[in-house]
Amino acid sequence: MSFVSVERLQKTYSGTPVFSDIHFTITQGEFVTLLGPSGCGKSTLLRCIAGLTPVDGGKILLDGQDIVPLSPQKRDIGMVFQSYALFPNMTVEQNVAFGLRMQKVNANDSHKRTTEALQLVELNDFAKRYPHQLSGGQCQRVALARSLVTRPRLLLLDEPLSALDARIRKHLREQIRAIQRELNLTTIFVTHDQEEALTMSDRIFLMNQGRIVQSGDAQTLYAAPADAFAAGFIGNYNLLDAETASRLLQRPVSSRVAIRPETLSLSLQGEPDTVIRNHSLLGNVIRYRVEVRGVELIVDVLNRSPGDLYPDGQRVALSIDNSTLCEVA
Amino acid sequence: MSRAESTTASVYHRSVVWLLFLILLLPLLGTLVYSIASSWSATVLPSGFTLKWYSQLWGDPRFLTAFGHSLLVCVAALVLSVVLILPLLFVVHYHFPRLDALMNILILLPFAVPPVVSSVGLLQLYGSGPLRMVGTPWILIGCYFTVALPFMYRAITNNLQAINLRDLMDAAQLLGASTWQAAFLVVLPNLRKGLMVALLLSFSFLFGEFVFANILVGTQYETLQVFLNNMRNSSGHFTSALVISYFLFVLVLTWVATFLNKDKSQ
Repeated sequence: MSFVSVERLQKTYSGTPVFSDIHFTITQGEFVTLLGPSGCGKSTLLRCIAGLTPVDGGKILLDGQDIVPLSPQKRDIGMVFQSYALFPNMTVEQNVAFGLRMQKVNANDSHKRTTEALQLVELNDFAKRYPHQLSGGQCQRVALARSLVTRPRLLLLDEPLSALDARIRKHLREQIRAIQRELNLTTIFVTHDQEEALTMSDRIFLMNQGRIVQSGDAQTLYAAPADAFAAGFIGNYNLLDAETASRLLQRPVSSRVAIRPETLSLSLQGEPDTVIRNHSLLGNVIRYRVEVRGVELIVDVLNRSPGDLYPDGQRVALSIDNSTLCEVA
Repeated sequence: MSRAESTTASVYHRSVVWLLFLILLLPLLGTLVYSIASSWSATVLPSGFTLKWYSQLWGDPRFLTAFGHSLLVCVAALVLSVVLILPLLFVVHYHFPRLDALMNILILLPFAVPPVVSSVGLLQLYGSGPLRMVGTPWILIGCYFTVALPFMYRAITNNLQAINLRDLMDAAQLLGASTWQAAFLVVLPNLRKGLMVALLLSFSFLFGEFVFANILVGTQYETLQVFLNNMRNSSGHFTSALVISYFLFVLVLTWVATFLNKDKSQ
């Protein structure tokens, strides 16, 4: 039974469609990510669901009720913004309590719920501080507490981690996911970062140019890209056209082929038909750029020990596991 | 940099600052001394000190009336500009950001036309006919409104751009606030600083405005600067006392406003 259901949603900005005919459903408690490059319409879609941007057609059903005619105030949706959007004139406590104040919740309940929400994001000690006295990560946790305190039916996260530095981003990512699981809160997360999408989501909707090009769990999106865009956007696929692929595989291939760099392997045994062009160290992985039969490929190899490193110019044998090749449209 | 060099540099920097300060302050200091001198003509120093010029000034009903007039006109013009410009700014920045470019041209107009020129135009337009306002405070209020517009618009715009208006409004509305509640509870308190700066700047400028006041209204509704001009043939001690009083008033006002405006959250 779907909790959120978006049907034939359309949006046009001065004549140009941002997206048309968007369809998807989300079940209760699911964490769904809209992933795509900037300008693909994912943020606009999120703002349409929130009611901040009017739609030109279609339905958004939330728990069976069409919310398109409702104002943002009446939709019962919480949202966290990339810019935090904390109210600078209010303390952390007042920020979190704002939604309850608008609902005219009495002072005792409001205080109790505000404290609970701050506990959830581990910021009780900061209740009396002002937003400008907090770090970026703390600000975003306050924003999260503020959007949770009104107990929304749906939580929208609009690139909430993009303005934070890498370490805090990782930590907050886990914290958001843990809270979402604990509250069993249906959540739509927008990001352009594939790693965030892959690690956090129950399901990912990959968007491009106003369309959802593929949806599925992280494993499906990663291992079976639906088209060349999906292959190019997720992971570091070697994307070959039919002719090049035929040359590489030495058999006729009729469509484009995507090969994940970590499915290729290099060794000194076998026919040394491959030349190492250059390599870069990514930490746990060594990324080689190799050439075989006039085809350039990227090969990722686990960095087990320094002795295993092939120097540039070395001839090695390349083996390709045919079962991991993806033919893409 | 060696210690000696840095000392020399620091002495140099200090002396420049002090010199500048002195140059700015000297005329004011001279005026102050002159306003408390009993007489000061053929001697290097005044012959004696007295407060009689101040008591004479503050006992003069014509001065008090002019002071009141200035105050009234300035405050009315500023109230009008706040009431009109705040909603305008809000609409421009929240709903029609493209209008900002147009507004930036519009607000330059009061600067582009010199007061002497525009006052001739205003005299033509409002001197007779159904909109006869010349000689009344109303024309001055309207005119000062246009003078204050650029100060108000710029200062508050800078403030608005610093607070990310759109996200704040969106966040407040999703939390259940109406547009009005969002504007009053979330946006307005964060514009206080810009608003205070704009008001102070406009007020000190308008309080000292002479050209419009003299040409459009003159003695029919005498303001402080027009009064000062009309007193130019009386004792210099008296007018000095007036200038110092005027200056002190603006100074105290600015200081009080700054004090009140101090952010409790910082």
